[in-house]
Amino acid sequence: MSSDTGSGDSGGKFDKARRNFLRGLGIGAATVAQPAWGGQTFQDAFADFFQKDYRRMSADEIEAALGRIERKAQDRYGVEIDCQNTPPQPGVVYGYAINISRCKGYRDCVHACVKENNLGRDSQVQYIRVLEMDQGDFNLEHSDHYYDPETVPVEGKHYMPVQCMQCDDPPCVKACPVEATWMEPDGIVVVDYDWCIGCRYCMAACPYWARHFNWTDPEIPAEEMNTNTHYLGNRPRPRGVVEKCHFCIHRSRKGQQPACMEACPTGARIFGNLLDPDSEIRYVLANKQVFRLKEDLGTEPKFWYFSD
Amino acid sequence: MIGDRGESMSPGKTATNRKRPRTAQAAVVNPGVVTVGTVWAGLAACALCVFWLSARAQEPAEAPAPLRFEGYPGAPSVSVVPRKSELFFYPCEQCHAAMEPDPTIRTLDTMHDGEIEHGRGRIWCLSCHDLENRNYLKTLLNEPVDFDEAHLVCGGCHANRHKDWYFGAHGKRVANWQGERTLYNCTHCHNPHSPAIKARAPKPAPPVRAGLTLEPGIEHEKSAIWETQKEHEAE
Repeated sequence: MSSDTGSGDSGGKFDKARRNFLRGLGIGAATVAQPAWGGQTFQDAFADFFQKDYRRMSADEIEAALGRIERKAQDRYGVEIDCQNTPPQPGVVYGYAINISRCKGYRDCVHACVKENNLGRDSQVQYIRVLEMDQGDFNLEHSDHYYDPETVPVEGKHYMPVQCMQCDDPPCVKACPVEATWMEPDGIVVVDYDWCIGCRYCMAACPYWARHFNWTDPEIPAEEMNTNTHYLGNRPRPRGVVEKCHFCIHRSRKGQQPACMEACPTGARIFGNLLDPDSEIRYVLANKQVFRLKEDLGTEPKFWYFSD
Repeated sequence: MIGDRGESMSPGKTATNRKRPRTAQAAVVNPGVVTVGTVWAGLAACALCVFWLSARAQEPAEAPAPLRFEGYPGAPSVSVVPRKSELFFYPCEQCHAAMEPDPTIRTLDTMHDGEIEHGRGRIWCLSCHDLENRNYLKTLLNEPVDFDEAHLVCGGCHANRHKDWYFGAHGKRVANWQGERTLYNCTHCHNPHSPAIKARAPKPAPPVRAGLTLEPGIEHEKSAIWETQKEHEAE
């Protein structure tokens, strides 16, 4: 108690910090006050303001929103992107499996994901984390995803990539106060970035640290921009919203592999349709000893791990 | 399942396969090597010749006879990414047609040098390469197998992996999850002479999150922001 009341002793240090904080706040407010998108026409800004939740928009309204997104990207990055609204395929629910005995910790998936999803190259947002753990240890709290040795795999370590588990009973969706995130019919949990208010409740609700808040505008060289985008996926996002892995919705809905799977040099990643009994993922589920991360939480992840 | 013995491959067919006439083109190689004196120059000339010849090499007219192996029950039909175009020395007959086959077990020092790390000394070249049909591999039943179908040779010993590969639990599928299955061959990822995947450098680590420091020797828990704050208060 006495140390609390005696704050006058250490007051000098903390006052300075407080002053700096307030100064930062002022500068921050000045920055935020400028239009985050820059160079927007009044019409577009007006339509953006009154844009509805994705699920309540008519086809025409979605089409108009896609046009606005493309124009914004042109203003912001000088790149002509193609923003689509590919619908889910009927009779498809996506599932993912990772063979952790094949994963060598190269991080090729992480960097393919950053590139595919137009994430800022120096931002702290990365959808995939590859955890390094001691062999025989499966305590995630002892894992390290900042490992950086000369070569991987390191003797006595094993690697485990973690990303959005696309839960079938997603706690993040329940936590969202504005229904800006939901599960699509093909099982992908998506975010309407224009409807998200950035409250980050979903981040707190997610047990997998799979959701990320974008504090900054991504810095991407124009020639590295991925122009193949989807409204619910990797389109340019406004600053200050929550984003996450979406199984590369713009690719998977067209039958292509997610970027992380295509980049994996060891073939540790297996992706497919859970409803198709002949798919690779179903073979893995039927024939391998699979487990899910934090299965006891009852979130029903559609993301399995196995080793053989 | 392995099919019945001798069902799909007739002995007559095998005989014609094994006595394929050697090409006249390849015979040119050897005199070139002999006339040049030193080993190194010989090797260089030989490599050049092989390169030149392989560039204009014709596909062998005959395809190998179908194998007794008829696939795993219920396995999906897959197509395999071709491999021959990536082989530097292929077709092997360009040199080997003019050489006497020598089945004695030995370590090779010219052209195909290097230890065979595969099998820890239990296998050697002719365990997988066909002695008679130089352009082919062979199964344990001495059936010739095309280099593009190398997985059939690997599957002879590694049947569990081979089955997983067919069904999609091992190996790597090309480009799509839906539609036609195209798979990389075993030899695309595993060097058949040294199959273990080599360690290599990882891609850069993610940037450290704000409020955390990652100096060597500092425990992760200790570098959490509330821990450093406690240390400040203690001072």
